[in-house]
Amino acid sequence: MSALLRRLLVYLLAAWVALTVSFLLPRVVPGNPVAGAVARASQSGNCNEQCVIAIETQLGFNVHQSLWDQYVNYWENLLHGNLGHSWSENAPVSNLILSYLPWTLALLGVATTTSFVAGSMIGTLVAWRRGSLFDWLIPVATFFQALPYFFLAIVLVLIFGQTGTMLKWFPSLFGYDIFGAEPGFNLPFVESVLAHGILPAVTVILASIAGFILAMRNQMITTLDDDFVLVAEAKGLPTRTVIWYAARNALLPVVSNFTIAISLVVAGQILVEIVFNYPGIGYHLYDALGKLDYSLVQGIFVVITLVVLAANLLADAVYVAIDPRARQAA
Amino acid sequence: MTIDSTTIAQAEPTFQRSHTVRLPRSPKVIGGAVIVAIFGLFAAIGRWVAPYSPDATDTKNWVQHVLVPGTGPGTEFPANYYPLPLGPSAAHWLGTTVFAQDVFSQLVTSTQATLFVGLLAAAIATGLSIFFGVTAGYIGGGTDEGLSLVANVFLAIPGLPLLIVLADYVPYAGSSVILVAVIIAVTAWAYSARVLRAQTLSLRNRDFVEAARVSGEGRLRIIVAEVLPNLIPIVAASFLYTTLYAIYAYVAISFLGLGGSPTSSPPGLWNWGEMLREGFANNAVRGGWWWWWAPPGVCVAALGTGLALLNFGLDEFINPRLRIAGFTGKAARKAGINSRTATVITPVMRKSAIPPTGAMPADAVLEIRGLTVDYGYGEDAVHAVSDCDLVLRRGKVLGLAGESGSGKTTLALAAVRLLRPPAVITAGAVRFRSPKGVVDMLDATQPQLRAVRWSEIAVVLQSSLNALNPVTSVGAQFDDLLRAHRPLLGRSGRADRAGELLKMVGINPDRLRSYPHELSGGMRQRAMIAMALALDPQVVILDEPTTALDVVTQREIIEELIGLRDRLGFAALFITHDLSLLVEIADEIAVMYAGRVMERAPAASLFHAPRLPYTHGLLHCFPPLHGRRAPMEGIPGSPPDLRDLPTGCAFHPRCRWALEQCRTQVPQLSLVDGSRREVACWLHDGGQTVPDELARRDPMLVAQ
Ligand SMILES: Nc1ncnc2c1ncn2[C@@H]1O[C@H](COP(=O)(O)OP(=O)(O)O)[C@@H](O)[C@H]1O
Ligand code: SF4
Ligand SMILES: [Mg+2]
Repeated sequence: MSALLRRLLVYLLAAWVALTVSFLLPRVVPGNPVAGAVARASQSGNCNEQCVIAIETQLGFNVHQSLWDQYVNYWENLLHGNLGHSWSENAPVSNLILSYLPWTLALLGVATTTSFVAGSMIGTLVAWRRGSLFDWLIPVATFFQALPYFFLAIVLVLIFGQTGTMLKWFPSLFGYDIFGAEPGFNLPFVESVLAHGILPAVTVILASIAGFILAMRNQMITTLDDDFVLVAEAKGLPTRTVIWYAARNALLPVVSNFTIAISLVVAGQILVEIVFNYPGIGYHLYDALGKLDYSLVQGIFVVITLVVLAANLLADAVYVAIDPRARQAA
Repeated sequence: MTIDSTTIAQAEPTFQRSHTVRLPRSPKVIGGAVIVAIFGLFAAIGRWVAPYSPDATDTKNWVQHVLVPGTGPGTEFPANYYPLPLGPSAAHWLGTTVFAQDVFSQLVTSTQATLFVGLLAAAIATGLSIFFGVTAGYIGGGTDEGLSLVANVFLAIPGLPLLIVLADYVPYAGSSVILVAVIIAVTAWAYSARVLRAQTLSLRNRDFVEAARVSGEGRLRIIVAEVLPNLIPIVAASFLYTTLYAIYAYVAISFLGLGGSPTSSPPGLWNWGEMLREGFANNAVRGGWWWWWAPPGVCVAALGTGLALLNFGLDEFINPRLRIAGFTGKAARKAGINSRTATVITPVMRKSAIPPTGAMPADAVLEIRGLTVDYGYGEDAVHAVSDCDLVLRRGKVLGLAGESGSGKTTLALAAVRLLRPPAVITAGAVRFRSPKGVVDMLDATQPQLRAVRWSEIAVVLQSSLNALNPVTSVGAQFDDLLRAHRPLLGRSGRADRAGELLKMVGINPDRLRSYPHELSGGMRQRAMIAMALALDPQVVILDEPTTALDVVTQREIIEELIGLRDRLGFAALFITHDLSLLVEIADEIAVMYAGRVMERAPAASLFHAPRLPYTHGLLHCFPPLHGRRAPMEGIPGSPPDLRDLPTGCAFHPRCRWALEQCRTQVPQLSLVDGSRREVACWLHDGGQTVPDELARRDPMLVAQ
């Protein structure tokens, strides 16, 4: 287990660093950010007295405690799942996040899985049939990889979205029909959620699949040159077995680079949620930033970090499962 | 930790210290460079060529205000107006915003800040990653552990959320592009650091770094003078990658309103993200005012594509396999070879007529006539094998010897069509006598080849570590093979057969459950031999099967092969550069030099009474595996460059006995000492005095 344990250690450390950074930032950054934040808040006009007090407490302003005591306090609260109080929603941050999280996790899970599986398969095919018509996919994928997620979201809304101006095929605002469906386990609501999920999911898939296609294609081309593929051919194995041999091996580095991929997808999805007003944590992060609800911003940052770290751990477990060499080291 | 392996580090770097860094000139790279250059130009001069100030409102063309439908007179709502920006016109090429500002001017001005932040962040991040990566990789030990841990921790923290929190708390960060760039760099350096560390790790054990260390050069000097130059392509790639990332990050946080708006105080700079934010916030999308929101988005995508294309080119430069795949695909199509898939079938493009063949000798199983193989096409082709004849007889072992690079592997694998592009067979004929009839190997289709492959002709390659699929067990690989060729054998039948085969080569059948990396080199090679014999093939091609092993294991495996050959009666083409090994196992030996067969004789004759100066040299290169150690004379000089072969006999610059005609005329293989052996050497054309070394008594002649 040592390899997986070591990864776990890295992730725990990463979580600690992220949490500590988010604690320290408002407190140690020169120029008194709290005063700045309060000034900005009052300036903006949509921050009342309550809001100012909330910001002050959250950022340790006017709190007559040593930094260390504040830090200990902060951890005590975190460990009790207490992420503070959101003044804009007037509710505990942790409850709010728990209600946002399913939207984000469902969208992220469905989109990333689809994109990873389909992207790896397409990449395999493009590499296998290199020199054929499939090669046009490479510049196209490069372009899509370069397209910012939120820009793609805007374009898709415009063309396919009901809030757009052209085809108006799919709902493109909110996570469900907030006027027609009663949240709960009923058919109209589920249908509405699925319909509203289509465009955001397609956006994330389209924007992220190119990276998987290109990564897998490059790995496949490298792997296809390996001796064991030549030997598989020499053995007269059926084509699909030969491709499978190569693909299984080419997949390893793709999975081990999942860390970077997942960070980018999460970043992209935050912005996609904003464009669609999709009620996940990304959209609410944007909302909280606008409302200067620092406790909510901080809480969301913590949770996103934990989600990404969990995804990384999952990817590592998959890696160990598919690479016997890592399994032995594990 | 294998989990840490990275794409780039996996490909063996082929660039050497003296190599000039030359990017491949593919359309991708050129296209990418052009796009990036255009944006660079706009960034440099944009501010001055912009027709208007980005903040100026055009009072002459003030935006119209349109009544919101359903409001105003006649409705129950008070009149409500919304501003209508102007579409593209001669005065405003990309129209205006709702504030009557010129979109084109904003776009051009924005290019500067966007690019500046991108490049600055990339420069800082690259600096950090070089520092962390190279230090960790070069110093190793605890330093490495510590620095790698830092990099891995940073890599695991999602970049954009951290960026958002940083940008949100650092006061007025958004308004200072330098601060923004620093913050982005902090979230972006870790990946490149990891790649550079892996690369440095592999470099530090290379000869030239070792040499510098031995010569007492200081650590810093070695890093700067020896290691860094070799990292340039990777540093360049990660710089491009980070620039791309930084631009996205800047656009993203500006879109979120954290990049500092030009209207806030202190004001931020115009950038593409800010333009998108403003457009999005003012309903540009719903209003259908594409001229406002589309250009900045398209610019991000276009610049991103440009950088990605450049990066693609660099990737091909760094990973030779990608480059070769790119180059050869195009060159092959140009030469008229169109392979639709990556299936390994060496293409045949005969440049000369098929040599007259006649009936196959009765005892021949594999007959190669005039086989010529090139790597590459047209002008650039390297003639790796020229006009080679070989006949492998039923149940016999034919040895193929020659220095490394003389074309042995090329010849053997081309005959069974197992060479990959850019290899192409340009002349000759290969026939294989299977129990079902004679197969013309160069004419065979893929199904015909598949029917012959392994069930009739099996191959054992030099390095068995790479010949076995690393991610499945040995048993599974036997299973795949038997399932493909013995469909009637059930699951347990296949397992029994696999166990039996392993036992045959002296491996415990329990090992079927093992993965290749769990076996020793010798065991893997045995497993490969067992696999080669699994289908009772007529022919086994053994390409240096023992070269990678230690002498003791080599010995054991050779003896085992001899035993198996005697028992099973397959014919073998045994390739090695070690003649003393061949004499024990081969019936006949052919010696290759520079892609040609130069001498062929019964094994004992060739070994004890070589006729070719080159063979004589080879025999004195290697100490025999056992027995008396002869003084090693070797062969002066080094193997020729196939691109620039000496005229006449290719061996003449290295030949002790070279004659005048050797420089100009190519000697042909012809019979000497009766009908059993051939040599291609002017010394034996009958008119020369043959030196004593090359005129020893042929033991086979004595035996007759
Ligand atoms: N893929 C390739 N592309 C270009 N040249 C190659 C390739 N493979 C081998 N060669 C060249 O062909 C020659 C013969 O190589 P090879 O058949 O492997 O020799 P041997 O097996 O005798 O060591 C060598 O000079 C080598 O440089
Ligand atoms: S032909 Fe001439 S150069 Fe070539 S091996 Fe014979 S003697 Fe030497
Ligand atoms: Mg070889």
